[in-house]
Amino acid sequence: MTAFYVNIVHRPEMVPEYLQKEAEQGKVEDLTRRAVLQESLDIFRTQQQIAHANGLRTTIQMTYASLFNAEAVALAQEHHARFGDEIGLTFLGLQCAEFREKFKSKELAIWLFSLEDKRRIVDELFGKFFEVFGFYPTSTGSYYLDAELVNYLKGRYPQVKAAVATCWEEGPKAYWNANNSWYTLLDGGPWNPWIPSRRNIHCPASDEADDIGLVAIPHLSRDLMAVFDGPGSYYGTHPQNILRGMAYEGRELPYFQNLVDQYRALAQYNRGYAYNMMFVGPGWMSKSGRWEADYAFLLKSYQAGLAYYGELKQQGRLQDLTLSEFADVYRQDRPYSRPECALWRDILYGSRRQMFWYADPAMRFCLDMNQGGAMVDLRPYAAKLIRPCGVGTKANQDASYPFLVQSLYRAGYFTHYAGEGAVKSCKIGHGGEQVDLCTCRTQASFSEAGDTRLVTLEPVTLEFEAFSVRVQSEFRLTEGSGEVEIIRRVLDSTRPDAELSIDEYLTGCYGTTEYPEDLTGVRLSLKNGSASEAIDYAYQCREAELADVQCVEAVIPPVDTRLSLRADGAASGYFREGFSFSPMYTLGIKKTLRGQGELRTWLKVAKAS
Amino acid sequence: MAQGRKGQLNYRCPRCLMREIDMDMLYDADQAEYYCLRCSFVGDEQEVLRLNAQFRDKYRARTIRITEF
Repeated sequence: MTAFYVNIVHRPEMVPEYLQKEAEQGKVEDLTRRAVLQESLDIFRTQQQIAHANGLRTTIQMTYASLFNAEAVALAQEHHARFGDEIGLTFLGLQCAEFREKFKSKELAIWLFSLEDKRRIVDELFGKFFEVFGFYPTSTGSYYLDAELVNYLKGRYPQVKAAVATCWEEGPKAYWNANNSWYTLLDGGPWNPWIPSRRNIHCPASDEADDIGLVAIPHLSRDLMAVFDGPGSYYGTHPQNILRGMAYEGRELPYFQNLVDQYRALAQYNRGYAYNMMFVGPGWMSKSGRWEADYAFLLKSYQAGLAYYGELKQQGRLQDLTLSEFADVYRQDRPYSRPECALWRDILYGSRRQMFWYADPAMRFCLDMNQGGAMVDLRPYAAKLIRPCGVGTKANQDASYPFLVQSLYRAGYFTHYAGEGAVKSCKIGHGGEQVDLCTCRTQASFSEAGDTRLVTLEPVTLEFEAFSVRVQSEFRLTEGSGEVEIIRRVLDSTRPDAELSIDEYLTGCYGTTEYPEDLTGVRLSLKNGSASEAIDYAYQCREAELADVQCVEAVIPPVDTRLSLRADGAASGYFREGFSFSPMYTLGIKKTLRGQGELRTWLKVAKAS
Repeated sequence: MAQGRKGQLNYRCPRCLMREIDMDMLYDADQAEYYCLRCSFVGDEQEVLRLNAQFRDKYRARTIRITEF
């Protein structure tokens, strides 16, 4: 039995940035411009009408400005009574004359205020909402809500059970896409709903004590391949995002339906559960057009999107829930340890590429089948980093959760002829020859055995000068273990007597952006039953290796993470320090064999302190 | 030279778009051409549309409805 849940969220944003920018052409700022307020409300009304015409209920997230607008309030009340829509509260659309007067700030992002201001704003918005509606909302949201803000909010308004809390992979790519002027630096969270840790909103909670007290919803359901290497605002369940990315032809965008259907198909990796959300503000449907599309096309794309959801509902393949209803349903069947899995395929570029995404309370990672199953992204959730953002904090605008591996920001397999990039892969060697599995494209399948999820890759053929071997990779993910078990299996060789080396390695760093961070003080170590080696990173190209290794590890203090590798049976381990032109560390485990055999290793991320 | 103004639609610079940078262009009514403040692109509407079509070519599956997952 599978269930596909959909949240449709609308917000009466009275002064959306895009409409305001257009209205301001050649004029000075005026947050009370009548034409903008009225157009915005008209578009909101249209969006609601489209949803209801397709038999879909919505969550209306009131903006602060809309709480002062009698028409918007009346509309929300009417739709709540007539259609069963939920009335929630968003921290988007803060800016309006009343806000400006009260808070004397032009800041538009709730997560970027100082914590003191965040608290004042939370109380003002919740208080105003109560004054208008006579009850407190049970769902809220923004593009990002930091844990510190949510902890305060939950303390004051414990009835809140759901929140739109991040935009998936809106980080440096979104910033770059917006001409370096859009400060949603929010990489590193899960792509589907999760119960966040009270220490960091990006991390799924480990247990009840760590539970922040609400279900977090990512803003939109995004393409897990296209957005990894492209702007988040091009590829998601937001029809106007697809127009922005120009992923259409002749006013038809089958990509939207393909995206929805691929999300539906994720049920096969998640015990029958699948999810989608659509969250489009009025600014995206400007009457004067947007993203090279006229209003008629903007409208058509939205109508077509909701018509598809409506069709699925009619067929009994979709359940439209409000945000708070979804939070209740989600919690009914969601042990903290259960991972979110997605074996994603390309639906846009015409390739056969697959990526496997995994998130649980210990880590998030991504395997790229175009690179032989190489790990191209790794986030150490186990560290549960307390990393406040906003004015007065060290991180300030950078609200991303740090990575240890990010192959697009830090090179990965291909570097420009010097040094190494961040990636986890395996090299198979013979004599002076060596082949990295990154160069061996393959396909993957997913299966389960009890509480273990398995990603099994199709065998690849490695060609050495005098012979070839077939190698198969398997990733085993046992729920609650905090480890990734990796098996590299040599299936056969055309020269069974030839000696082969298998070198399982991870080249890592840490950071949140493309630019290097200082690795000074990172501690690399390894040990076996009788010896140990350790160094503190100082860019000196030092290396060490021990036979019969028990553990190879890196402790990375700035992200409070202990990253380790271990093997079963006899294998040697090594670490390698980098240099300034290659600011990376490498941990590895290797063994030799002839004919057939395997190397089995475990990768673990843990909190260092 | 005339003052640059917003065009009828917010055409983004197609050259910047190739680098996935959304950069709205200005329109010079005297020259009947769009130009970019970031790079040196200049062109009429037909040129913008031609390059936009080129941008879309990377989406080889953009017209295909995929039903098997």
